[in-house]
Amino acid sequence: MPQLLNYLANGLVFSSIIVLGAIGLSLVYSIANFANFAHGDTMSVGAYAALVTLGAVGTAGPEILELPVGFYAALVAGIAVAAVVAVLTHVVVYRPLDTDSIGMLITSIGVAFVYRAAIQLQFGNDFREYDVDILRPVPWIEDATGVTLTEHELAIVVVTAVLVVGLHLLLQYTTLGRKMRATADNEDLAKISGIRTDRVITSMWVIGAGLAGAAGVFLGLFNQLGPRMGFDLLLVVFAAVILGGIGSVYGAMAGGFLIGMLNRLTPVLSDVGIPIKPAYANAIAFVIMVLVLLVRPRGIAGGDGG
Amino acid sequence: MSDTGENSEGGGEDTKTAFEASDDEGAPFSERIVTYGIAAAAGLLLLGVLVGLVNPAYLLSLLSLAAMYGLLSLGLNVQWGYTGLINFSVAAFFGIGAYVPVLLSASGSPISGGYPPLVGLPIAIGVVVVLALAIGVPTLSLREDYLAIASLGLAEVVRLVFRNQSEWTRGTAGVGGIPSFFEGIPFLETFPQSMPVVELGIYRLAVPFWSNLLNFALVAAFVLASYVVLRRVHRSPWGRVLRTIRSDEDLAEALGKNTFAFRMQAFVLGSVVMMFAGVFYAFSQNFLTPGIFDPIFTFYAWIAVILGGSGSNRGALFGGAVLVAIVEGSRFIGLGASFRLLAVGLLIVAVMRFRPQGLLPPRDELVWPSAKRGESRD
Repeated sequence: MPQLLNYLANGLVFSSIIVLGAIGLSLVYSIANFANFAHGDTMSVGAYAALVTLGAVGTAGPEILELPVGFYAALVAGIAVAAVVAVLTHVVVYRPLDTDSIGMLITSIGVAFVYRAAIQLQFGNDFREYDVDILRPVPWIEDATGVTLTEHELAIVVVTAVLVVGLHLLLQYTTLGRKMRATADNEDLAKISGIRTDRVITSMWVIGAGLAGAAGVFLGLFNQLGPRMGFDLLLVVFAAVILGGIGSVYGAMAGGFLIGMLNRLTPVLSDVGIPIKPAYANAIAFVIMVLVLLVRPRGIAGGDGG
Repeated sequence: MSDTGENSEGGGEDTKTAFEASDDEGAPFSERIVTYGIAAAAGLLLLGVLVGLVNPAYLLSLLSLAAMYGLLSLGLNVQWGYTGLINFSVAAFFGIGAYVPVLLSASGSPISGGYPPLVGLPIAIGVVVVLALAIGVPTLSLREDYLAIASLGLAEVVRLVFRNQSEWTRGTAGVGGIPSFFEGIPFLETFPQSMPVVELGIYRLAVPFWSNLLNFALVAAFVLASYVVLRRVHRSPWGRVLRTIRSDEDLAEALGKNTFAFRMQAFVLGSVVMMFAGVFYAFSQNFLTPGIFDPIFTFYAWIAVILGGSGSNRGALFGGAVLVAIVEGSRFIGLGASFRLLAVGLLIVAVMRFRPQGLLPPRDELVWPSAKRGESRD
């Protein structure tokens, strides 16, 4: 039983990362109308930007959840750099394109390669880690429930919750949020209603890529950093987006949560007698993705944007 | 490469789809550039051979690689260029084509080994057809971008199986002891060893040269056979149905065509062509690892097709050659994998931005030459 709780706790942490990635991918799908294959590598960009920042500001000073303040500065830098890079890419690459959604998809593969190559050229192919202490599980949680959860993992969940609630408030209660929902629903209608959709699309890139940057930083904290870290996660994130319903932000959150959980619960399958190696965790996500596409081509919560 | 063909693809749309040429004022110009480019590259290579910079054995391996990428892109061209299927599982078929005959013939194979590679070939075709059906049945009716994601996902499942089922594939340790493709065939089996050593001044044509020559002959035969078959079927009524499906699926349905069946046939045919690339690759290596399933090969095939011009067979071959120029050229001048990735990425972005229809767009590949000259053909 504690083992199952452990898987669930681990799944919650991994889900947080997937949720953050899935929101951005879903936003791009609903507002810019294409499957953005560069989204995974946007995560890597955020992760490496945070690595550089952490190296510059150092780990001295007070700590929150056993993470130095410098780490939170690095997180903000990771979010900011990912957002800036995405907006620049939008202005330089995507906006001048005269092509359909498949052309955009293929272009985004090229963009993904450029991001990854830039990271490889600067940092090499080796795995790296953030210069923060590796922690023991939080004692009181372990004593009370037997769940081994470190404070870093708690930090991932807490910050993700803050970001997700913030996005919810933004979408529901601000003018920008209303404009974004309107643009996602029907760009032409939004345009003739006087919404400057160009600005909305730029904000969409800032938010989507910013969240991807945060996801990358957390992925680096959860595992380690490598140039392929984001690309390797991309299909899992796609699975989450499709499960939740393409173009739906709340669906992406739900899909991300489910896929993240399932991914970490794979060992349970062998415990209950289904001999599937944990190495197939991602394969299970992909098969679920295809099944969902078959049964409900617009995803479980799909149908309406926003 | 004729300059006379009329371009029938419609302009007049606001956005270009990735495989439709717009008004083709520039096409003959771009084709001239391509022709000069190919001539210049061939001249440079020849010069390199003459001054002793490019070993003939190396030249042969370059040509073989170009042909291999050409096979991948020819296969993808059937699926994407002609039918509009956005298949991102190229690497899966490439890998199956490599693994199946090797597992049957290599001495280091964990399951059987020892069969002549030629026996593995029909078995590989069988496995590829089954895999293509397994991937195609659930995905081919999906909308195109979902098809991309789903097929990439299923290709990753195949990769994970080959990585992790080490009792069948030795997993990441890889399979060694790969024989020559011609093992068990008289004369060809011992061809590289039995040929005399030829002294050519600066070069000495010995076993590596003859063995590369044999490999080149193999892949060239694959390319030639595929090219002829594909050109023939594309011009057939079957090919015209594919073209109709690509441009207007509802129309094809209204004409009474079972579009799903046609898509599936194109998918299977293209996958078999890709498989041959894998067969060549495996038997030109000493060692096979699941790295052959890396999605990068899928993207390489896509670049080759898009660069050459979606729907154009000669474009697919040209794209394969450019890819080798980038991949091997960067290696030759000492640039690492990162530069290669950068170059490939920038190339994709540049082509989509400036020439989405590719450098050698299809113009009259679906028209019988006699029909083009205004003759009747009966």
